[in-house]
Amino acid sequence: MDITTLTSKKSLVWWVIILIIFILLAFVPLYAPGYAAILLISILMYVILTVSWVMFSGSTGYMSLAPAVFFGVGIYASAIIGGKLPFPIVVGIGGLASFCLALLVGALTLRLRGIYFAIFTFGLVMLMAHSLLFWELHVTGTRGRFVIVMGYNTIYYYLLGIFVLLLLTAYLINRSRFGLALQSIGQEEDAAAHTGVNVTMLKVTTFAISAFFMGAAGAVMATKWTYIDPFIAFNPFYSFMPVVMAIFGGMGQLFGPIIGAVILTYLEEFLITKFAELYMLIFGTILVIAILYLPDGLVGLIQKMWNRYSERKHADT
Amino acid sequence: MKNKVLLGLLVVTVAVVFLVGVCATNSLAKDKIVVGMARPISGWMAVIGDSAFRPVYETWVKEVNAKGGIYVKEYGKKLPIELLIYDDKSDVGTMTRLTEKLIVQDKVDFLWPACGTAFVFAQAPIANKHGYILLTAEGGATQVKEMLRSLPYVFVGLSFSDWYQLPVFAELLGEKGAKTAYIMYVGDLFGIEYSGVAGIEFPKHGIDIVGISSVPPGAKDLSPIIKKAKASNADVFCCFGYPDQVLPATGTSIALGFNPKAWIGGPGANFGFYHTTFGPAVEGVMGFTSFSPKQSAAAKELADKLYAGKPEEIQDFWGHPLYWASLEFWKQAIEKAGTLDQKVIRDIMATQKFKTVLGPTWFENGLMAKECHTGEIGQWQKGMFEVVGPKKHATAKFVYPKPPWPKPKPKK
Repeated sequence: MDITTLTSKKSLVWWVIILIIFILLAFVPLYAPGYAAILLISILMYVILTVSWVMFSGSTGYMSLAPAVFFGVGIYASAIIGGKLPFPIVVGIGGLASFCLALLVGALTLRLRGIYFAIFTFGLVMLMAHSLLFWELHVTGTRGRFVIVMGYNTIYYYLLGIFVLLLLTAYLINRSRFGLALQSIGQEEDAAAHTGVNVTMLKVTTFAISAFFMGAAGAVMATKWTYIDPFIAFNPFYSFMPVVMAIFGGMGQLFGPIIGAVILTYLEEFLITKFAELYMLIFGTILVIAILYLPDGLVGLIQKMWNRYSERKHADT
Repeated sequence: MKNKVLLGLLVVTVAVVFLVGVCATNSLAKDKIVVGMARPISGWMAVIGDSAFRPVYETWVKEVNAKGGIYVKEYGKKLPIELLIYDDKSDVGTMTRLTEKLIVQDKVDFLWPACGTAFVFAQAPIANKHGYILLTAEGGATQVKEMLRSLPYVFVGLSFSDWYQLPVFAELLGEKGAKTAYIMYVGDLFGIEYSGVAGIEFPKHGIDIVGISSVPPGAKDLSPIIKKAKASNADVFCCFGYPDQVLPATGTSIALGFNPKAWIGGPGANFGFYHTTFGPAVEGVMGFTSFSPKQSAAAKELADKLYAGKPEEIQDFWGHPLYWASLEFWKQAIEKAGTLDQKVIRDIMATQKFKTVLGPTWFENGLMAKECHTGEIGQWQKGMFEVVGPKKHATAKFVYPKPPWPKPKPKK
């Protein structure tokens, strides 16, 4: 489904479907056993990271490996101020701290392109982890913090709320001139600049908005992890997974990254519990196959098959 | 339009099937004791997990099951142990999720520990919240003492810095007249803790800390620090780090001819692979330990069970005996309780003594009592990792000063 179809009158059915899915999701903790909410928490976490990542990297073509930084900032915000302030404020601060950091980093580095930007953002994960480590070693004299523990349902509903906000934001951005300008940057940045698009402002703002959601998700997830330290919070794994999930699902559509995140999280869960010894081998093989044979991701494949089916049907009639 | 409705129905169906699948639960028959674990089978912690708790629980479970399992009065029979192991990918987030899965969905009878101090810190509140006993393996820190007050279901089996390794080490050094020490520590919870405790214990025995350096995890070149330590002319060199630091620190000390009167490195020097790597050069190097096969027939039997006919690399004189003793303790607590009820077993574990490979064993405020440890400080002597402290458990006298490193062979 293309994002533009969401606006047409014919797409009413899609809105109904989305509404049904969200109603189902909203009631999961009420009718499902405890673990369903726990697994869905993980899935929502990856969905938020992936959709946030696509919001910036998917449209501009800038490969950011910084999700772990913004996620980690949220985690640390929660560890430091969690319990001292009401939780919604903690989550908001987690998001805002990431937003501000992204503004700063973006303003400094978004002139870099291609591989340079990717490497810089990856370096940032290491820089943050080691800076915090230094700070804790030499200033606070500690390492590692306990985080206030929240109930599963609370965590679940916070993540669901963040997800809804994120989807609305992504949708509104895509629908606006802002989104169009972003796509023009992705297609040809120099041309976009020549047509009067303030490319730096756009890139930095979108980078920061996507960081906000990652930070907010981090602040919520920290309460589930109960104990964190710089290397737990700033784990490069959380930079790579959103990229892999987005590629697997397909980046051209809004629902591609969501489907990629849901399927890969579920697949990972299945493999680490049923085939623990073979997890990496099977997971890696599936990814290689997906990247080799699904250039537009899973959603691209489904769409292609659907189109072929529709064409054949029309040809028959 | 019709196509879209069909596609929409398909999407909703997939979503419903998915949610129902997520919500499905497993039921487990009660003809066995199911023990669940989230362990690092892949990722950076895997190498630690594979050499620390894993060989112990694999050998132990095999032995117990060969005798029919653990007798539980409530069921009037012996129940074999079945392990349900998930891969936490060396990631704390995944580990906490899998721990919850084991408890909430799989409803395992018992939970065994994750690998590593930070992981144990994250797992302990979850186990405690659900009323599951957590007898930890790889992990322990002074911080855990405070934590245990609010976690009645958590029991820590491993010895650590002030429980009671460094007080014993400082006393040994003080008696030999050591005056100065240089500390190198890895920049994490472990390193901070050990250097901090050394800062408290060394001065009590007249030892001044003349230099202290931290190294970030992953640092490869330790020569600047070893040069500084050599320049300080300290009597004692402490390398509070993991094998990743202890092995290069040893190699660099040999290469730079830095031979203090006492050289301690751990965790690292306590492993068989340390001796395999450096051979006779390890003579006099010290590390942390908890037993020696020479101490008793039971200790010898355990060493044979774990190590006979296997390569020296897998030996661990610090952790293995304590993990084994913890499992023996746990089994006896279940047998005494006669039920699989966690609360009943917990109360027995918290208050009673049982005989294990270490001798009489018990827990005090969630920690294995230091009186149960049959060693704290070890020293390589003639190819054996001897217990040298505390003296009542010593299998050899503490050699101080250590002999010089072998001279590097001249290049041909």
